[in-house]
Amino acid sequence: MTSNGQRPDVAIDVDAITFRYEPKSPDVLHGVSLQIHHGEFVAMIGQNGAGKTTLAKTFNGLLKPTTGTVLAGGTDTRTASVGQLARSVGYVYQNPDHQIFAQRVRAEVAFGPNNLKLSEAEVAERVQEALELVDLADHADEFAFSLGRGQRQKLAVASVLAMRPPTLVVDEPTTGLDQKGAKGILDLLTRWNTHGRTIIVITHDMTLVAERVPRTVVVGGGRIIADGPTREVLSNQELLAEAFLRPPQVTRVAQRLARYGVASDALTVPELHAELSRVLRGAV
Amino acid sequence: MDRSMEPIIEVSGLHFRYASGKRDALDGIDLTIRRGEFVGVTGPSGAGKSTLCQCLKGIIPAGTFTGNVRVAGQDVKPRGPYMESSALVFQDPETQIIGLTVAEDLAFGPENLQRDPSQIRAAIPGYLKTVRLSGYEDAETYRLSGGQKQRLAIADALILLPDILILDEPTSELDPIGKDEVFEVVAALRRERAVTVVMVEHAAEQLAEMADRIILMDHGRIVADGPPDELYHGEGFFHRPDGERSPQVAQLLVALERDGLVDAARFTAREDEAVALLSEMLEARAGVPAGD
Amino acid sequence: MPVGYSIYVERPSYVHRRIDPRTKLAALGATFVFALAFNHPLPLALLMVAVLAIGRWATIPWRKMAPFLIGGTWFLVLGVMVWPLYVKGGPVLLTPFGIEYTLDGVLFGVAMGLRVALMVIAAGVWMMTTSPQRLTEGLLRLGLPHKAGIAMTAAIRFVPLLNAERVTIQEARQARALDLQRGNPFSRAVRSIAIIGPLFIRAIDVAQSLALAMDARGFGARDGRSSIVVLTFSRTDRVIVFVLLATCIAAVVGRLLGFGTITKDYL
Repeated sequence: MTSNGQRPDVAIDVDAITFRYEPKSPDVLHGVSLQIHHGEFVAMIGQNGAGKTTLAKTFNGLLKPTTGTVLAGGTDTRTASVGQLARSVGYVYQNPDHQIFAQRVRAEVAFGPNNLKLSEAEVAERVQEALELVDLADHADEFAFSLGRGQRQKLAVASVLAMRPPTLVVDEPTTGLDQKGAKGILDLLTRWNTHGRTIIVITHDMTLVAERVPRTVVVGGGRIIADGPTREVLSNQELLAEAFLRPPQVTRVAQRLARYGVASDALTVPELHAELSRVLRGAV
Repeated sequence: MDRSMEPIIEVSGLHFRYASGKRDALDGIDLTIRRGEFVGVTGPSGAGKSTLCQCLKGIIPAGTFTGNVRVAGQDVKPRGPYMESSALVFQDPETQIIGLTVAEDLAFGPENLQRDPSQIRAAIPGYLKTVRLSGYEDAETYRLSGGQKQRLAIADALILLPDILILDEPTSELDPIGKDEVFEVVAALRRERAVTVVMVEHAAEQLAEMADRIILMDHGRIVADGPPDELYHGEGFFHRPDGERSPQVAQLLVALERDGLVDAARFTAREDEAVALLSEMLEARAGVPAGD
Repeated sequence: MPVGYSIYVERPSYVHRRIDPRTKLAALGATFVFALAFNHPLPLALLMVAVLAIGRWATIPWRKMAPFLIGGTWFLVLGVMVWPLYVKGGPVLLTPFGIEYTLDGVLFGVAMGLRVALMVIAAGVWMMTTSPQRLTEGLLRLGLPHKAGIAMTAAIRFVPLLNAERVTIQEARQARALDLQRGNPFSRAVRSIAIIGPLFIRAIDVAQSLALAMDARGFGARDGRSSIVVLTFSRTDRVIVFVLLATCIAAVVGRLLGFGTITKDYL
């Protein structure tokens, strides 16, 4: 494939990239390759400093690879500006307060579409759609900073959704949120994914990944340590240990009971429950 | 009465409303904590957990405070004197680190209390050892990882020689390694020192392992209070789609109990004990070859 | 790349370790007095050499002094170009564009350039040999209120954090199609203002959390604070300060008597 060849089914195409911040500083990413196809829902997990955020920032051109290429929606990120790439790859920051300008909710969500130079009517329509998607339509006329943390998180997501990027990268959306808030965000992302959007979520909440995300990429030491169906990746203890991660409790328990014939790749409580029922009852 | 069983925190009828609040952040809290207990606090955002932590520390925010809070024999009052019997570790690693170097940060608290400088300097290495940061005296604080900063914050609290250590979601902003480091340090503290611990956390699995007792808060009230095995067993707050998180093994055992496969009396919220229980049950099915 | 706390360079030199920060502050002040007292290039050049010598004695590498030296050189060049337009005297050296550049004028220009360069380099050397902690402690002992001292160290402490936040906010804005890379510098500057709002709010957030944490650790619990920073104002320090004071007075007196000047028309 040539560097300007189009592969319309690939949303993000990372081709053997390395990255360093300064010419003399050490490489932060070493020979990373990754393809994410349209409509996928992918989790990127790993420790802080392992390179997952650095890698994600190459998807929308915030960081340009030192060697190798990244194609976002078929466009080489080195030749396009971040502003242009924002149309195809949206990036939601971990801390909503980094994105939110001090204004009312509606204006906040309209910021992105306005930068895209759309008509007033078009902007208003997108703002309404985005607000309804995140359940903040009732708060449209309030000040952004008067919302609670979980709601500001949703506002940050809505602000990026309003630009209708086909691909969305969400950085640690559940940090600092309680169970209800975290589920709310994941529900939202899942819904958006079923509408056909590509979602890449950076997180270290193994439990939520196990329950909701079909594909997992493990990043460690600036490399991709694993990339595949969540079930395979999260039940591989050695692989996870390389990235200093552990599987969710339910998977750990399943593995410790494997010698009794229990399937060791249970990802959720209902799965292990069903599995244990099966074995305990002697059903086949 | 055995000294270790005496109450060290006594809260009765505590109501608190923030100056700009529309409802009580704390809506009638009654609570007794005994010396040496490890009490976990959990619940949804906005339940009042942080507000409670600050009231127990004796730094009451601006607002209306009614009721009684007695900590280590001293009554907490708005704008009252600084209370030395407790120390508080906050959620954000960045904004509770004040010194430019680790040693400077550790010294900040004791310096505020006008403790003798040579004694402070002599004490620093010991506290660094406790939180596994030995040798970091001259490290610049901005270079530390999140986990390291939180461990430093714990040392900052311990060097004040508190009877009570209060931790308000110390691992929420950390990655898995950072979380593990902090939990290890807190668990070690539990074993080695006689300090009473109150820890707010969402990490249900770790809370179940470490806490003697867990309090569940919601809308400014305490809605449940008991040992992990009791609390996470009960219906109502946990085992519901929109409920609070409970340890996965607890959810599992509750589900098996509903099936009639597990006896209610054997319930546990701890991983090792749950695995032991399930292994025992699976062994008892011996006769069914493994793998079938 | 993280921005550090300050430009302090940690070295085990005599200047770093043994000289009290208050003495160093006095030396800096004296340097400024000397620089302003003379407008002849010769004494200023000697002073410059002395300051650089102290910097090297304190084992500060040339590499670290370079930014200050480069800045100083610019002032020198500027001085030589501009001052001869105002100061005339002695033989004419050049006549660019019909303006007479006289010897006195050029020498004065050199002196003015040296004066500013001297102050810049002296300040640089001073900052590189005095750690923020010791400086703050020194100021506290000279009477700075405790809260001001903490405000100083807190400001320094949060420079790297707020810098990182600025970068993040900038990125976040770019990711929402606010293009900061194209357009002329003026429109880029205008668009950059969008960064200030969130940064300001973050700074206030940080300040509030910090205040709470400080309260929790007993700040303000007592009337004063103890300090683990050890400062000894030794005999050497006393001698140095005395010598500095004496030479300052001599310099001022000398200047009033007319020594060390090219012209009496300007300071």
